[in-house]
Amino acid sequence: MLRRKQFWFAIMAILPTFAIFGWVRLFPIIETLRLSMHEWNLLSKNKPFVGFQNFIELFGDNQFMDALTNTAVIAFGAMAVTIPMSMVLAAIIYHRTRSRFSGFYETAVFIPHVVSLVPAAMAWKWIFDAKLGPLNAIIMGLGGDALPWLFDPVLSVICIIFLVSWQTLGYGVLIYLVGFRNLPKSVFEAAQLDGANGFQSFLYMSVPLLKPITLYVSVVTLISGFNVYAQAYVLASDTQGAPGRQVRVLVLDMLENSFQNFRVGYAAAEAVILLSIVLLLTMIQFGLLRGKGGR
Amino acid sequence: MSATDRARRTNFLLDVTLFVICILLLTPLILLIANGFKTPQEMLVWPPTLFPKDPTLENFHKVFTETPLLRWMLNSFLFAILSTVAIVATSALAGYIIGKFPFRTINIIFILFLATAIIPFEVYMIPLYFQVKALGLLNSVGGLLVGYLVMSFGIFLIRQNVIASIPDELLEAARIDGAGELWIFWYVVLPLLRGPLAALAVLAFFQAWTAFAWPIIVMTRKKSFTIEVGLANFQSAYTVDLSLLSAASAAVMVPSVLAFVLLRRNFVEGIAASGMKE
Amino acid sequence: MTKSIRSRALKTAVGLLLAGTVTANAQDVVIWGGFPELTGYYERVAESLSGKYPDLNVIVEPIGLRDHEKRVALGLSSGLDDATILELIGSTANRYIVNDLIQPAPEGVSTFVNDDSNFEAFFQETAKVNGTVYGVPVFRGQGALFYNTDMLAAAGLEGPPTTMHEYDEYAAKLTQRDADGNPTVSGWSLRLSGGGGGIAEKFWINLHQYGGTLLEKDGDNYRAGYANEHGLAALKQYVDAVSGVKTVTVEMPADAAAFQREQTAMFIRESWVIGDTAKKAPDLNYKTAVLPRGSIALPVNLYVSGGSDEAQTAAWDFAIAANEPEHLIWMLDNVGWLPNRSGVDYSGVVAAKPQFGAFVDLPEDYVFFTLPSIEPINEILTRFAAHLVDAYADESLVGNDAAMLEVLKASAEETNKILNRAGILAK
Repeated sequence: MLRRKQFWFAIMAILPTFAIFGWVRLFPIIETLRLSMHEWNLLSKNKPFVGFQNFIELFGDNQFMDALTNTAVIAFGAMAVTIPMSMVLAAIIYHRTRSRFSGFYETAVFIPHVVSLVPAAMAWKWIFDAKLGPLNAIIMGLGGDALPWLFDPVLSVICIIFLVSWQTLGYGVLIYLVGFRNLPKSVFEAAQLDGANGFQSFLYMSVPLLKPITLYVSVVTLISGFNVYAQAYVLASDTQGAPGRQVRVLVLDMLENSFQNFRVGYAAAEAVILLSIVLLLTMIQFGLLRGKGGR
Repeated sequence: MSATDRARRTNFLLDVTLFVICILLLTPLILLIANGFKTPQEMLVWPPTLFPKDPTLENFHKVFTETPLLRWMLNSFLFAILSTVAIVATSALAGYIIGKFPFRTINIIFILFLATAIIPFEVYMIPLYFQVKALGLLNSVGGLLVGYLVMSFGIFLIRQNVIASIPDELLEAARIDGAGELWIFWYVVLPLLRGPLAALAVLAFFQAWTAFAWPIIVMTRKKSFTIEVGLANFQSAYTVDLSLLSAASAAVMVPSVLAFVLLRRNFVEGIAASGMKE
Repeated sequence: MTKSIRSRALKTAVGLLLAGTVTANAQDVVIWGGFPELTGYYERVAESLSGKYPDLNVIVEPIGLRDHEKRVALGLSSGLDDATILELIGSTANRYIVNDLIQPAPEGVSTFVNDDSNFEAFFQETAKVNGTVYGVPVFRGQGALFYNTDMLAAAGLEGPPTTMHEYDEYAAKLTQRDADGNPTVSGWSLRLSGGGGGIAEKFWINLHQYGGTLLEKDGDNYRAGYANEHGLAALKQYVDAVSGVKTVTVEMPADAAAFQREQTAMFIRESWVIGDTAKKAPDLNYKTAVLPRGSIALPVNLYVSGGSDEAQTAAWDFAIAANEPEHLIWMLDNVGWLPNRSGVDYSGVVAAKPQFGAFVDLPEDYVFFTLPSIEPINEILTRFAAHLVDAYADESLVGNDAAMLEVLKASAEETNKILNRAGILAK
């Protein structure tokens, strides 16, 4: 009767979206899982089944382990920088909501996020340039030594963390801002009456109450950190015209294995590992941040 | 000092801090634009100058006449608009259904949507490429779109919003009055979703605008590049002209920044209205 | 009501989708090249064909080499829509031929390539697999030493270095340093970063001068050939230059750009530098010299795939037209890559630009080497390069022969593992 009619409407209405989803998401994902157990050089007609061989080989492959380490460092690094900074920035901006500059703050903070990745990376590439960039100029002006930012293995990873954080900061601030706006005023008023100052109420009340927001921001930042590609491609690329030390990240390794080494099955296995890591980390974050303090 | 004076002083300090931080955040982009106006020789000067001593429009002139930059921007724009339309349409409908029709089957579908959201696109990019090729959609906006037709986060956002701000009673009342489901969706639900849909539109637009890994394998003809891909290819020639590159990047950056500045209010309000508390 | 809106929207969407589509017409030929500086050359050849093929539309699409290889892989594996001329190094084309993704050349083209008066055997072989012709040779990359005559004179050096030992001496004398002893102008610019395979390739050139080789051939199989005294000598040279005497460092400007701006005194590279320098630093005083033992030779051929039969015919005609003496001479003069065709009189160009001498006037016993046409060659080079990059940055290797040999041995093991996986490891 009525519920049946609604049920059929629901199914019909969601069918187009689900169909698209199936074709552009589910099908390729399953195909990737399938490919990871085969060996395929992209060109030939045969794709022999190899079981878990690709995975076993991956763990002995030091280029892959390199990529994995770099990517993990970048992702966690960016997350470690973004979450506290965006929380604090959002708190301050929220405190000054009534200032006529609040629009400017919100916009300025988010602009790095909407700027195309490639121009942004190029801007930073110049800044970090060891011989021509203003960063080293400032350091030397202050009496320090110029550093080979984009050539040193550790420093170039730091540069990428910088770039990624710079881009995700705005997103984090915006989400936290919304979170702050939705915090219940009553609790804070009570705390103020009890004598808590701004800083205390921030640390002991806002932070725990914002746990669900923190969860969301950390999941999003971590996932996009593990997917870093364009930034490494441009900033730490090793093209002849603009050399630097190439920072090997997972997506780059995957694409190289597919299109330069012609080992699509191997690359698919890498993709599966990336997927598993991301899933695992997401579940851990949910476990850590969800249970307490959320509403 | 009175309490209000103290408050005003704190506010002032906070404003200054925020101002400085914001300027710092924008500095790389300002420098990029400034570099676009420098001559190639000035780019090599040490210590580097912040603003061009000898500004020239030559780089911009070269960029617009020697590269199909405008064509690339058009491609990016077309792609972004179409992707936005598709994502908004699918998210609105799917989000509404998942939010207000909690049947078992629908919930399972929702979990599937969520689960795949976590999976990075690059993971399944390659099989998807072959699917696109099979349809003959390489080097076309259609092929680009295939990867950007739905956004799991969009569906999630609308669902949250639908649950938080559309009371069941409203829908029931309409049904009792004899309205059809589609009519309810179009005339009752959609208008109420205006805020979050606008926010979603902004997100979707910029997601497509800044897409990189997918366009770079789907588009192989120079004319069909999107901006990101076109610019990235700039720097793979043997010797790179930094000032030219900066000019190209600046030219690309300005429209997107302008667009965002105009749309910011919609965006923030839209996210806020979705009630990010789950 | 909603239906009509929906169908209108659908029609607009389809219209927009098609608007964004770029396809070529039947008489279109697309050229995919990995060397953007050759655009002018291809355009000239296209123009010369406009008499025979008035409707022919040649679309030249050169992009950076790495992206070029990627698009060729993707394009050939899924089938090319338009008749496409592919500019490929012989060793890269091999894998496509072996997988039946590139078809043999038509008879007329075969005859042209097999004609000994057109090409020497070395170049014919690169365009053939098992005796069948698949492509048309066009140009090659070949190395020589470039040196700044002003800087050599200022350092009191006469003439170019002729042995590897002299290279080291020259490098030390030509390096200019600042008050703290840090090099500001490198004596000999080495490839220390940039482009996975490139680093290994350049190392191989130096290795070759010491009498070594990266991959030893044994019948149809290969093994790593650098974990020995030759490899050690080459690696030592790099390590000493970067970490020992410090005549060059990773972050210094390098390669052609540095040479043109006088930030390095000498470097080894291919002939395109001549064309590039003429445009970017026409007043630079420099000469070229042959390398002590021999050089790399990377022949590039043109292959055709995809499109209608008539477009393919036009494409093959283009490949042959590209070998017309007038176009080849233009290419040598204006771009700098070395044409492979025999029997063409390049003396005019060489007289006007004597720097070409080191590429064409070669000693009798000059030994060439090239990249073997095996499937995993790219992977082998890239992985070896990764080890090299780490070694260059490792200061503890200076003077430590045993440790350097260890590095080479570890990498050789990896190389052999890859060869084994591809089934071509020599026993």
